[in-house]
This record gives sequence, structure tokens and C-alpha cells, in this order.
Amino acid sequence: MAAKSDDEVARTRLEELRLDSNRIQELSDEELYTSDSNADYEDLGPAIPSEADNIVYVNRMMPIFDDLQTETSRAQQQTLDKILPYLEGNPSNFPLNSFGIPKLQREKHVKFLIQGLGDKPAAYTTLDAARPWQVYWCLAGLTVLGHDISDYQQKIIDTLTDVQHPEGGYGGGFGHLPHLAPTYAAILSLAMAGSSAAYESINRRTLWHYLGRMKQADGGFTMAVGGEEDIRGAFCVLVALSLLNLPLDLPPDAPARAQGMTTFLDKLDEWISRCQTYEGGISASPGCEAHGAYTFCGLGCLAIMGPPRETMNKYLDMPALIRWLSYRQGAPEGGYAGRTNKLVDGCYSHWIGGCWPLVEAAVDKNLWNRSALGRYILSAAQDEKGGLRDKPGMRPDAYHTCYNLAGLSAAQHNYKFDEKMTGDVGKGSFGAPFHWKGDGLFEGDKVWDEEDVVEEVHPVFVIPFEAAMACREYFEAKDGF
Amino acid sequence: MTKFYHDDPAWADIEPIPQDDTGHPLVAIAYTAEYSEAMGYLRAVMARNEHSERVLALTEHVIGINPAHYTVWLYRARTLEHLSIPPSDELRWLNPIALSHLKNYQIWNHRQAIVDRRDSCEGEADFIAQMLDQDAKNYHVWSYRQWMVERFGLWRDVGEVAFAEEMIGRDVRNNSAWNHRFFVLFGGRKKGQAGEGEEEGKEEEEKEKEKELVQREIEYAKQAIRQAPQSQSAWDYLRAVLRHAHLPISTIAGFANEYNDVSPPRSLHALEAQLEIYAEQNKVDEARSTLEALAEFDPVRKPYWTYRQKELVVA
Ligand SMILES: [Zn+2]
Repeated sequence: MAAKSDDEVARTRLEELRLDSNRIQELSDEELYTSDSNADYEDLGPAIPSEADNIVYVNRMMPIFDDLQTETSRAQQQTLDKILPYLEGNPSNFPLNSFGIPKLQREKHVKFLIQGLGDKPAAYTTLDAARPWQVYWCLAGLTVLGHDISDYQQKIIDTLTDVQHPEGGYGGGFGHLPHLAPTYAAILSLAMAGSSAAYESINRRTLWHYLGRMKQADGGFTMAVGGEEDIRGAFCVLVALSLLNLPLDLPPDAPARAQGMTTFLDKLDEWISRCQTYEGGISASPGCEAHGAYTFCGLGCLAIMGPPRETMNKYLDMPALIRWLSYRQGAPEGGYAGRTNKLVDGCYSHWIGGCWPLVEAAVDKNLWNRSALGRYILSAAQDEKGGLRDKPGMRPDAYHTCYNLAGLSAAQHNYKFDEKMTGDVGKGSFGAPFHWKGDGLFEGDKVWDEEDVVEEVHPVFVIPFEAAMACREYFEAKDGF
Repeated sequence: MTKFYHDDPAWADIEPIPQDDTGHPLVAIAYTAEYSEAMGYLRAVMARNEHSERVLALTEHVIGINPAHYTVWLYRARTLEHLSIPPSDELRWLNPIALSHLKNYQIWNHRQAIVDRRDSCEGEADFIAQMLDQDAKNYHVWSYRQWMVERFGLWRDVGEVAFAEEMIGRDVRNNSAWNHRFFVLFGGRKKGQAGEGEEEGKEEEEKEKEKELVQREIEYAKQAIRQAPQSQSAWDYLRAVLRHAHLPISTIAGFANEYNDVSPPRSLHALEAQLEIYAEQNKVDEARSTLEALAEFDPVRKPYWTYRQKELVVA
């Protein structure tokens, strides 16, 4: 087996496939003719595509392989060996939908995420600095599944109030220093909790001062005082400013004022442009490698700074970006990889998949293969016991569950940006994200039934639309902090 | 070895601040007694803004239990600065930790702060190489290397180019290594900066050198493509070098054709280059049939090739 080149493997597979499909054809013809009446068939309902059809599909998607073996090609081959059985068959024995693909295991995933919010043994101590993240991933995942989270409202408020820092922003835990990652997760979680109690638990005045301390002289933002500067920083800051309707101006005590900066947006557009690499994707900071998660953050920033059609076309080379995003979709896997020549991973279902609604609002519709992504998520990313994962053989976790589900939602729904920015919410600075609307279900080539369809997700905030709108509306109506 | 503070006379003056939860919080972790207590003492020293040798030891203890704890790293960095600990001492302490926690964000930010303060990148390239031996595409490690290039002005540095070359030699598909090569060679010269303020004769000389470099890199990318024509990394590098030098895509027409003379082609990237050559030459029909071939041989990206079709008509 090891002696076989990838090319040979692919060729052998193709031959197997030809034999398989011949055999299937013979079998079905035979059955048809020996059957007493066609009525028997109609009683069975529409024919469910079988494993053979999946094998035909996988083989059609199989790329051309080079002969040369390197660490990358070996890792890719091992990954394919793990994933293919899930794309072709149904090793988890899930019930299948009318496309012959495992149904969305909604109840199991809900149970998994509810457990995710519960008590953890000491082995989870490494999560201690990221508890708001865990809260966000579980809540966001639950809302994508259509599960009502209102029972958690008070617990969300209490848990996050405990980690809010007296000098502004949120930390990973009680008494931890504030940091933009937990701040981002906390604010989105409180927006999902929804209610004046949740909104008012956020100290917006100290938060605004905290965010101001992150601004750097080159236009970007650090994740913490003394922390790393990367595009996550910019995205986290803009999400907070936008959802909570905070002022565009830097607070008077922002250190960047000494460098002549006056607003949060100073030189940011330019800085984001510099993060687009020669490959077309966006990197953590200028000069680094293009990467899916940072690309989503970059596009998210631009979608907060104004209408996507304006900001993205102005600050990015869109054809290069679209090309890079397209190439991240793995074949035959259908899932996305985060970088060139890396492996598919379920979390990029969102990090890359979630870029498409933003890009489509800026350029054109129907740019990507939604059905192939749906296949990866439903067939390969669902864990037998609930929760979703990076890939078969990996343990599911709240992070991969949340972002696989958000990616599934991006594949299933259409969104529309109201260029005229009408509507009552989203006036003033950072108001652009409040002019998105759901635009019905994707009805093209798909592999899911109605019962596999998850909820709409706000393309910028990755929480329910109503949660984002209600939060902004509340603070637009409020005077001062 | 478990370490406690309540019975340690060196800590007798500190009243720990325990975690104070409202009710039963979400994602409540059943911490070990050791971690709970260490965190209690950490919160207490942070509250009194203490930066001392014993705080340094405490941060080491907490990092040992939970290296993903950014608060401890940030506080340790401030303490080092207060105590004026020599950066080299800290690096010696940091190295084994970095090697056993490859995917950790904090370590690299911490290292960056220390090396920045030391104002020298001596030994860093070797250490990074050691890390990449274990995880050749580690994003944080490569990003750190790019920071080092920028901070210490290693643009077009022979050692950096050789390093990228070595990594590409080991795995021609290592995209991080290609990205680094591009960054080192072309990342430092932003538009408008090249040649600025230089004497006239020198400018000509520079231009000639630049041309040679571009030619060398085109050839370098081509030999890499010959090894693995379906790998995107070298193709994208080649395209980027052409773009950087304002050379048309038809510069590589003959080369691309080497891979397109059979069906299916030996490289879809060559076919894509062919598409762009046709588009550049306004050969719309040829471009269209090339796009159809791309959609056939690369069906997962069919919507994308269809979009390129539309763009073609518009252009
Ligand atoms: Zn992942």
C-alpha cells in the first residue's frame, strides 16, 4: 500500500467505481424486471440515494495528485483515509436524509452544548482563562440549533459580571486581567441573553476606555495591554463598539492620542489592506501567512466600517480574495482548510464559510460550493455521541460544534445587505451591520432536508439577528453611558 | 511536585483572594486545591501591584499548571521589567516551555517582548528552526520569525532566504515557508520606498539587481513546480513575483503549457495560468473553453469558475 503513489490510488479507486456502478446498474435492472409491479416501488417513496451514489460523487470530486511524497502529502493522504469512509458510507449509523446523507443530529448536539455549559473536572483547568469563550460557543451553537436559551439569562449575567474588570473589559476568569478575546465572547453572550439586565451589566464607560487603550500607532489594536497586535484585536474592538453603540472617538486617555490619533478608525483601513497577502487571503498582521480565521476577522471589520460593497472593494483586492477563499475548499472532502496546503477542519466551515455571505454582499452571489460543505459537516463532522469536530478521529468540542453549525447555517441561508441603510436601527457610527436581512433559504444544489436546516446567523456577529438588533436598539435609545 | 503557600513563611504576609463566584456559575471548573490557592495568591499580589522575586516564582508555578493563562504571562512580563531581569535569563527559562507547548499564543508574545527589550535577535533564528523542526507550519512561530525580520531589519538577509529555502527543500508544499520567502525578499520594500533618496548611478544598479532577483525567483518557483505541479504554494509565489515585477502572466506561457498538453492536465494551476494568459490576450473563446475545462476537472469549485466566466464577459 505504501508503495502505491497517490496517483495509482486514485486510478484504482476510479476503476473500483466503474465496476461498482456497473454492478449497481445490473442489480437495479434485474430487480426492476423481476418485480411484479412498479407499485411496490412507489410505496417505498422516492428512492434514497445509496452509498454507491456517494462513492460516485467522491470519485468525481477526486483531485489530480502529484507523485512526489512530502510531509504535507502524507498528512493529506492520512486525513483522506480517515474522512473517506464517512463521505462514502455511514460508519456512525446515523439515520439518513433524502439525499443519503446523515441527518443533522439536533438533539444530540443540544445535549452536548448544554453539558458544555455545565461543571467541568480539574482537567479543564487549561480552559480557565477562556471561560467566556466556552459560554459563547455553547450559547451560539444552541441558538443556531434553534434551542431556547432564555433559562440561562441570569446565569449568563452572573457568570460574566464576575469576570468583568473594574478598569473595563472582561477577563477569562475572576480577577484575571482584561483581554479582548473574553471581552468579545462576553459581549456577544450578553447580547444573546438579551434583557435590560444583561445589557446594563456591561460597564460601557470603562469598556470604552479599555478599548481605547488597545489602539496602536500603526492603526491596529493589541489584544491586551502588552499583548499581541493582530487583526482579531481590530475585529473584537469593532464588534464591541458596534453592538453597544459606543463613540467613534478615542477616549481622552487613549495612549494613541499621543501619536495624533483621534478615532478608533484612524489608519485602520490601511492596516487591514496591509494584512491582505500575495495569496489573496488575510493574515494576523502585515507580512504573516493568509489564514481563514484572520480573514473572517478582516472582512468582519470592513463590514462594520461600512457597507461591504464600499469598504471591501475599496480596501481589498476582491478577485484575489475570492480566489483564495475558493481554493480553501478541499476536494473531495468539501470542508475548508485554513491555509494553503493544510488539512480540512470543521471550524473553517465558519471561518471560511462565514466569509461568503460578507463577500457575496460586496460582489456577487453564488460564488461557492455550499452543498460540498454541507456534506462535510453532516457526514464527517458530526460525532456519534453528539457535538461536532475538526475531522473524524478527533474529539468534538464546543468550539468546533459552534463553528461547524455556523458554517452549516451560512451554507443553508441567503442574506441581503440593504445598501440604502434604511430601517430604524443602525444609524450613526458602526451602524452598517444592522442593515442585513435574511433572504430565504438556499435552494440550489443541496444535500439537506428541511429538518436539517439550522437557524439564520447574523453574518458579522455570529449570534441570532434579533439578539444583535435588540442590543443595538437598546443602546441607541439610551442617552450617555 | 505540589506547592502550597498558606504554610510558607515567605508568604505569611499575604492574604489570598479566593475566586468569588455569584451563585453557581456557568462552566464552573473543579480546580485542584493547588491551582485554586496559587490563583488566590496571584490575585492578591496583583491587587497590591507587587513585583518581586517571589511573584516571579509564583507566575512560574501557575504557568506550569496552565500555560494558556494570559494574565499570568502578562503579569510576569511586567515583573521582569520591574526587577530588570536580564532578558537572556528569561529566554533560558522560556525555551523548554516553548518547546513543550507548541500551539500556545502567550509564549510567543512573551518572547517577543523580551527579545525586543534585549534589542538583539542573537540565537533566535536557531531556536525558531528548532521549533519548526517539530511543527513545520506553526503559525505563531512563523509570525514570530516575521516579527524578528521586521524588528531587526533582516530584509533580504542571506540567512533568512537560506532558511526558507531549506524548509521548502524539506517539503515543497510548506506554504508558510513560501510566505516567509516572499516576505523576506519583497515585503520590506513598500511601494514608493524603493530607491528613494539614492544617487542616480546607484539607482540604475539597484534596478539591475532587482531584475536579477526577480529572474532568480521565477526560476526558483519553476523548479519547485516541476516537483509538485499540483501544489498551489509555488504557483502562487510565482504569480506574486510576476505581479511584484509588473510582468504579464504570459511571461510563463511556455512553462504553463508544459502541464497543459494532456487531458486531464497535469496541473490545474497551469490551466488557470493559461486562462489568464488568454484573458490578457483578449482571446475570449479560448478563455471560455479553458474555464469549462477547469470546472470539469475541479468540480468542487464549479461555482467559482462560473463566476470567473461572468467576470470574463464583463472585462
Ligand atoms: Zn479547527
